[in-house]
Amino acid sequence: MKTLERIDIDRRFCKGCLLCREVCQYEVLEPGKERSDLDHLMPWPARPENCKLCRLCELNCPDMAISVVVKEGGKGTT
Amino acid sequence: MNPLGEKYLRKNFLPFHFCPGCGDGIIIQAFLRAVDELGIIDDLAMTAGIGCSAWIPVYMHADVLKILHGRAIPAAIGLKATKPSRKVVVFTGDGDGLAIGGNHFLHAARRNIEMLVVVVNNQIYSMTGGQVAPSTRVGSRTQTTPYGNLEKPLDACKVGTACGATFVSRWSTTHSRELTRSFKKALGHKGFSLIEVMSQCPVQTGRYILGSGSPAFNLKWLKENCQVVKSPAEHDEVESAGKIPLGDFLQIQRPEFIEEILKMNERVKAEAKGGEG
Repeated sequence: MKTLERIDIDRRFCKGCLLCREVCQYEVLEPGKERSDLDHLMPWPARPENCKLCRLCELNCPDMAISVVVKEGGKGTT
Repeated sequence: MNPLGEKYLRKNFLPFHFCPGCGDGIIIQAFLRAVDELGIIDDLAMTAGIGCSAWIPVYMHADVLKILHGRAIPAAIGLKATKPSRKVVVFTGDGDGLAIGGNHFLHAARRNIEMLVVVVNNQIYSMTGGQVAPSTRVGSRTQTTPYGNLEKPLDACKVGTACGATFVSRWSTTHSRELTRSFKKALGHKGFSLIEVMSQCPVQTGRYILGSGSPAFNLKWLKENCQVVKSPAEHDEVESAGKIPLGDFLQIQRPEFIEEILKMNERVKAEAKGGEG
C-alpha cells in the first residue's frame, strides 16, 4: 500500500495562488504564515493524514512547486 | 520542485514569469507529463509567437523558435517540411493564433500538415492589458469594450473542424489528466491536431470580465462553466445552455501534406527519367 511521506512545497517558486487548496477535496492544505522567496504567503500541509494521494495539488500547481512524495510499505507491498 | 521540472526545465530561467494563478504553468506540466510518458523530448521542435502562452515552450529543455506575432504556424510548416522526422508543436494564444495568425491557422488545417497546435484560450488579450479578443464572450466588459462586447466569440474547435483538421479536442486547465491524455493522442496522430485549452487569467479576465482577481475564484468559474460531452447532440445542448463543451471531438485519418509532397517528388522524378529513356 502506498502512503504519504510528505508534501514538498518549494519556497523558491511558490507564488501563493492557493490553487492547490482550491482543488483539494480533503482540506489537506491551508494558507500559512511563512513567506516564499518571491515574497508570497505559502500554503502548508495542515492535515496530511487526510491525503488520498490523488496528486491534484501537484497537477494544478502553476509554478510546479508542489511534489507529493509517496512511500511504499505496509500491507500488499510486492 | 516537481520531479518533471527537475528533469525537463531550464533551471536558469526559473521561476516562471507568469502571474500567480496563471493556467500556463498547468499546461506546461501536462505537456511535459505527456512528453515524458512518450519519451520524445529529443524529437520535439516547438515554435511560438507573441503572448503569455507563447512563453510556454521557452522554459522546456527542447528546441524552440520564437517568431513574429501570429506567424508561429508558417515557421512550423517550414520546419516540418525541411525536417519531417521532428515532432512539431506550436504554442499559441487566442489572440496570436485566431486573430493575428488566423489566416495561417485556417490554411495549415486545410493542408493537414502533421503538427500539434495548442491554442491557449483565456478569452482576452492579457499581455497587452486586457483588450477584447476574438474569443471574448458576448457582454464582457474589457478595456476596449467598456459597455460590453457585442461580437460573437470565435469557436476555434469548430473553425478547425470546418477547415479540415484531423484531431480536434478542447480541455480546460481543471482537467489536467484528460489534457495529458489528449496531448499523448495528438503527439502520436498523423495530421493536423488542434487542442484548445480553456485557461484562467486572474489578472485580466478575472478582474474585468468575471469580477474577481482571485485565482481560486477563476478556477472555480472554469469548473462550473465547462462540461465534458460525449456526443455532438450533447455538445449543442451544452452550448445552448451557455456553457463550454469539453472533450475529444474528432479523430480521423486523411492524406498528410508533407508525405504527399515527398511522394509527388518521387513520382515526378520517375516520370522525368522515363521521358528521357
